[in-house]
Amino acid sequence: MTASLTGVGVTGFGRQPGPDSVEWQITAATLALADAGVDPDAVDTVITGYSTVASHLMPADLFAERFGIRPAVAFGMSAGGATGLAMLAQAARLVSTGAARHVLVVAGEDRASGQTREASTRVLAQVGHAAYEVPLGGTVPAYYALLASRYLWTYGLGPEALASLPVQMRAHAARKLGAQFQKPITVEDVLTSRPVAEPLRLLDCCPVSDGGAAFVVSAAPTGERSLEIAGTGQAHRHQHLSAMEPGSSGASLAAPRALAEADLSWEAVDVFGIYDSFSITVAMLLEELALTPPGRAGAYARAGAFEVDGRYPMNTHGGLLSYGHCGVGGGMAHLAEVASQLRHERGVSQVGGCEVGYVHADGGVLSAHVGVVLRRGL
Amino acid sequence: MERRTDWTAGVPVLLVTSCGRCGNHWYLPRAHCPVCGSDEFSDVPSSGGGLCVAVTRVHVTAREEDGPVSLALVELDEGPVVMGRVHDDGLAPGDRAAVEFRPDGHDGVLVPSFAQEGPS
Repeated sequence: MTASLTGVGVTGFGRQPGPDSVEWQITAATLALADAGVDPDAVDTVITGYSTVASHLMPADLFAERFGIRPAVAFGMSAGGATGLAMLAQAARLVSTGAARHVLVVAGEDRASGQTREASTRVLAQVGHAAYEVPLGGTVPAYYALLASRYLWTYGLGPEALASLPVQMRAHAARKLGAQFQKPITVEDVLTSRPVAEPLRLLDCCPVSDGGAAFVVSAAPTGERSLEIAGTGQAHRHQHLSAMEPGSSGASLAAPRALAEADLSWEAVDVFGIYDSFSITVAMLLEELALTPPGRAGAYARAGAFEVDGRYPMNTHGGLLSYGHCGVGGGMAHLAEVASQLRHERGVSQVGGCEVGYVHADGGVLSAHVGVVLRRGL
Repeated sequence: MERRTDWTAGVPVLLVTSCGRCGNHWYLPRAHCPVCGSDEFSDVPSSGGGLCVAVTRVHVTAREEDGPVSLALVELDEGPVVMGRVHDDGLAPGDRAAVEFRPDGHDGVLVPSFAQEGPS
């Protein structure tokens, strides 16, 4: 595939009342285009992620008009938390076939300030089955809590087994400007935080944030900082938890598809961005990707495997768990961080000599999977 | 597609769908077998018994007035995994579980609810 990631832009995440969803998208798009060195009027295609706060039939047209551009092609996409990477994969296909030159991929949402917590919980719970799951009174944390309960029981582990993952994400966020939460936490803090849906507690769950993120995907590099989108891979095997095949959510199909397209294996990957909506999410993804043995993701975190100098440097911006989660933009921040790493621009958190990165996002209840392999330009 | 006459229609039963071509079983309504693509299948009432594989106590619910609720995943003896409420504080993963239907859902709708299977 010949597609370049020429620009990335991520705002700070947090509770930041004021801007609406489209205004966050504009801020992020401005950052990404400046980063790429691409003029707004050179953008021929816009792909925009949905906002739960400002649900709209035509999110890309809405954005483009307000931003002040007139692209030849514009459309919205929704694949839950995987939307950002799914938009990037689609953009890469468009530029590699010659259908587009510069694709602006953008998302942003005032998810924390633009609605009540109850409204947010209710909207997100709709990833549950309308007839068979939602009437039971479940929530997204409840669906993941069921996965966590099954996981801990399967491997004979206690809740402390997952707690080291959010502790590691917080340690990364402490070194990243713009992260929502930066005060270091301990395993004890996780285990004594208030229960949300047991066995998951508050610090096992990502926050809800305001913010935005954007990418520019181009047919050719625009400078030395441009990165190669070496491979993308997806899998969509179920929507609802009640239809999920245990141990085969789709992650283990999407990643090999992306790696095969890049003609690389895991040994070549130096830096990772793995979706971490909950402690259990990142644990299950790491294990289904076969990066850690079954039931051992937390133990790997405890041993420092996901530190900057660890075996699998991961989510060095703090992930959804600590950098924050503004919806579609939340899952894009992992890729922006990996891009900064591959450009060797991460200062104190730089992963030494990294050349190849892998980013993975899931949407729903481990339902939609997208993996992306990025490679440093020559 | 016809609406299934199971608990979602107020009939106290869990239906499991069985593929006529490959023998795959599933729970949620589908137009085709996800394994072999067949559209020849039939609904079979489940015995309602199985292995509890997950339990959660949900403290933060979508409707504040609902208060905490407990949910479980139960792997039915017929194969598929179903989600239900829990009306037994002692139910834990690894236990045998049995279903009852209770008016515990939103607005009093009938929902499957699990407890430890009693001595038979």
